[in-house]
This record gives sequence, structure tokens and C-alpha cells, in this order.
Amino acid sequence: MTAATPTAIRCIGVEVRYTVRSYRPLLRDLLRGNAPEATTVDALRGVDLEVGVGESVGVVGPNGSGKTTLLQAMTGVLPLAGGELLVRSLPTFLGVKAALRPRSTGRSNIRIGLLAQGLRRDEAEAMVSEVAAFTDLGPAIDRPMETYSSGMRARLHFAIATALTPDILLVDEALAVGDRAFRERSARRLDEHRAAAGTVLLVSHNLAEVRRSCGRTVWLQEGRIVADGPTDEVLRDYEAS
Amino acid sequence: MGTTSADGPGNDGLFAVGRPVPVGTYLRDLWHRRDYLVRVPLEDLRVQNAHTLLGNLWLLLNPVLQVAVYLLVFGVLIELDRGVDDYLAFLTVGVFVFHQAQRTVTTGARSVVANAGLVRALRFPRAALPVGSAIGQLLSFAPVLVVMLVVTLAHGHAPDLRWLALPGLLAALTALGLGAGLLSARATHTYRDLENLLPFLFRLLFYLSGVLYSVDHFVADEALRALFAVNPLYCLVTTWRWALIGTEVSGLAWAGTVAWPTLFLITGFVAFRAREATYGGGS
Repeated sequence: MTAATPTAIRCIGVEVRYTVRSYRPLLRDLLRGNAPEATTVDALRGVDLEVGVGESVGVVGPNGSGKTTLLQAMTGVLPLAGGELLVRSLPTFLGVKAALRPRSTGRSNIRIGLLAQGLRRDEAEAMVSEVAAFTDLGPAIDRPMETYSSGMRARLHFAIATALTPDILLVDEALAVGDRAFRERSARRLDEHRAAAGTVLLVSHNLAEVRRSCGRTVWLQEGRIVADGPTDEVLRDYEAS
Repeated sequence: MGTTSADGPGNDGLFAVGRPVPVGTYLRDLWHRRDYLVRVPLEDLRVQNAHTLLGNLWLLLNPVLQVAVYLLVFGVLIELDRGVDDYLAFLTVGVFVFHQAQRTVTTGARSVVANAGLVRALRFPRAALPVGSAIGQLLSFAPVLVVMLVVTLAHGHAPDLRWLALPGLLAALTALGLGAGLLSARATHTYRDLENLLPFLFRLLFYLSGVLYSVDHFVADEALRALFAVNPLYCLVTTWRWALIGTEVSGLAWAGTVAWPTLFLITGFVAFRAREATYGGGS
């Protein structure tokens, strides 16, 4: 990254903490004074990261290393326990799935998904047919989503979530779904997105995908960045570990 | 995207995320989401009877059957209709107003816990969840209101100037439900036990709100009557009956119809927002 590239995301010592108990203390336990110790899990323990506009950064690491938490923190859904997180514009997380309704048709869900991502009704209406076309679901787009196969659902989710081309796109394992043709099309969409000077963060266990689309990779381990550099170098160490 | 961050552009044109937003921004973000907040309950209402033979006729049939059951049990079998001339209309208004409040509170209380996935995935003012569920309840009240009007008209109560009060009464009913829903949503988030208690609380209130019987005729004790008079749900049931079937209403009931919803809405909103950051997990 050259000094001239403006910053898209800046993390300064970002910490996120979850409070978990092995079980919810019952009133009985509280009265006897033997409530379970509340354990705090430090999901992120001081992450420093600077991502430039137009960069594509892969995020790798074992399960539970804080990858998804890092992305969630960037969208502002998680309170920070410490540090500071600054962004150029509010990133979109490919997480629109939770807003969709199984009994509604694919087309209705496109409308709902676009509204859920903050569009006004007229803005959403203008995009519905374009998104429907991208899913390539044919007549199935007007059938209830509960009748879809998991691959068809995945295509719908991806199409809705990437419809907006936000300045900063956060992707969490989105490309491991759909048939081969759709995978290629979704990869192309992310490429287009990057070409439009968008910033992409890709969390994936599919290292081939990370290699293909990210010039830089960050390796997370137990909530800390252990390596940050060119994808080839970082992944070589990661695979050797 | 229209949703803006709390703090204005800082150094290098960057915004801070993961911070609480001021109340003005919060309300503006909520307003910005209005299309979404109406669309989702409309859609849910449209498809909720998708697997039934009668489809959305059930939206009308449900309230009709409900009144039929109460009329059979309390009007014919137990004869609670003492002191009430048109018991069916009296009962219909009472039952529906009460249940509307109950449903708004109960679904509001569940809204945050039930949408945990959405809360973790997208950033939006969390109050959108209880507000959205209150809008949903308001929409599904439309067929119920129709049944209520038909019953009162069938009982010979002609359309009246008092009907002009209905929009205001509907607003009060929704505000009360939303306010209590916001309070319960926050409490349910911390103590899931409340989900088990709410049905019993409402069962108790159902009998203490003069839904099935005329309090004036069944409750002799003055002190007890005073207790009824300050019950928010009794206030609303009474003022709704005034508007639809012209029963007498005290000034205290009017005061309660205005004051309780206002109080619940404000405290509910403040209390809900105080825990805003924790609804998605984290601490």
C-alpha cells in the first residue's frame, strides 16, 4: 500500500469481549452464593489493522480465532471493549440471510432484503428485477423460498447481499455455495466490485479462493493478528502451521 | 446507503463505529427504515395463512370465533351479563381491545430475542424490532376492528361522532403496547424467565380489567374500584367502549388513557436504548 492510498478501515487496538457462563445461574445458586464464574472470552485482543481503499484482504485463521467477530465489529453491531475502529463508510456484511422470510417468494425476499440493508422503497423497487435476473432462478423466483434447495437459497442470498455494491464489502464464506456456474459468476461480481475501487474483506477457509482474489492476507489466531502481508507469504506460513 | 454513523466525519474522513449514537440520530435512523418496518409485517401477514384452506379469511374468522366462544361461556352458561344491556357488543370490544394490548406487548417482548440472527448480522437501531412488531399487530388489528364495528352496528348503535375518537384511541392502545413491549424486550433479554411469566400476568389482568363483566355492577367495594380505575388496560377498555357503544366513562379513565401510554412509551424507549449495545452479544 502506498502512502497515497486513503484509508478505508482503521483498527487501533480493537478489543471485543463476550461474557459467557457455563450455565445461567439459577436463583438457588445465587442464594447459596455459588453462582458460576462469569468467564469473559476475549474474541479480539487488540487488533491493529489498516486497510486502504480498493484493497482486497483475505482473513484466515482457525475456527474461533475471531474472524467473524472482526467483520461484525466493523459493521458496528458489536460494542467494542477497547480500542478504536474507524471506517470511511459503513461496511456491509454479507449477512442479509437472517432478514429473509421462508414463506415469501424469492422476489418478495429480494424486496425485503434490500429494504433491510437500508434502502428506501423506491430505491429497492428499481433494483428488484436486476437482482432477480442475477440469481438466475428462472420461474422459481416467484415461488416461496421454503421450496428452494440450499443451493438456490444461497444464490438468492448472495445476489441480494451484493446488489448494493457498498464501498466496503465484508464477505464471510460466501463463495463456497451454489453450483460451479454460479460460483464463477459470484467470483466475477466480487471482481467487478473491486474494479470499481471497492474495498473487500474476505473471511474464508477456502485458501484457493483467498489466493485468487486477495493480494494481501491477515492471519488471526486467538483474537490477535499473527501475520499480515502478501497472500502468498502469509498462506505459506499458515499452511505450514 | 442512507444510514449514517453517529459521529460526523473525523480525521481523514473516517467514522467511528461501535459507539452509542445520540438520540436524535437514533430516531432519524429509525425513521429512515420505515419502509422496511412496514413491509415485513405486511409480508408476514400475507403469507401466514399460506398453508390453510381458507387462507386469509382466517384473519376475520379468528376474532369472530373468539367472540362466539366467550359469548357461549360467559353470556349463556355463566350469565356474567348482569347490568349490561348489549352484552355481545360489550364483550366484543372488551376482549379485542385487551387482546390487542396483550399481543402487542408479548410479540414486542420476544422481538429482540427472536431476531438474534438479524441483530448480529445488520446494523440498525434495535428499537426497530419492537416497533416493527407493534406495526404488525396494528395491521392485523384491521380485520378485528371491522368485526367490532359490525357487531356494534348490528346491536343498533348507529355510527356516532364518538367514532372520531377511534384513531386517537388506537394510537393510545398501540403506544401502551409498544411501551410495555420495549420494557419487556429489555427485561426478557436479561431474564428469559419473563417469557414464562407474561402469559400469567395477562391472564390475571384479563380478569382485573373488566373485560368480561361490568365493574360497576360486580365490584361493590370503593377501594377495589379505585384499584380498577388506575389499571391502564381498564382505562383503555372503558374509553373504547365509550366510543363504540356509548357506555359511561369517568374522567379518571380518560386521564389514564392519555397518561399511561405516554408514560410507558417514554420509559420503555429510554430503558430499551440503555442496553442497546448488548442486544447483539458482547458486553
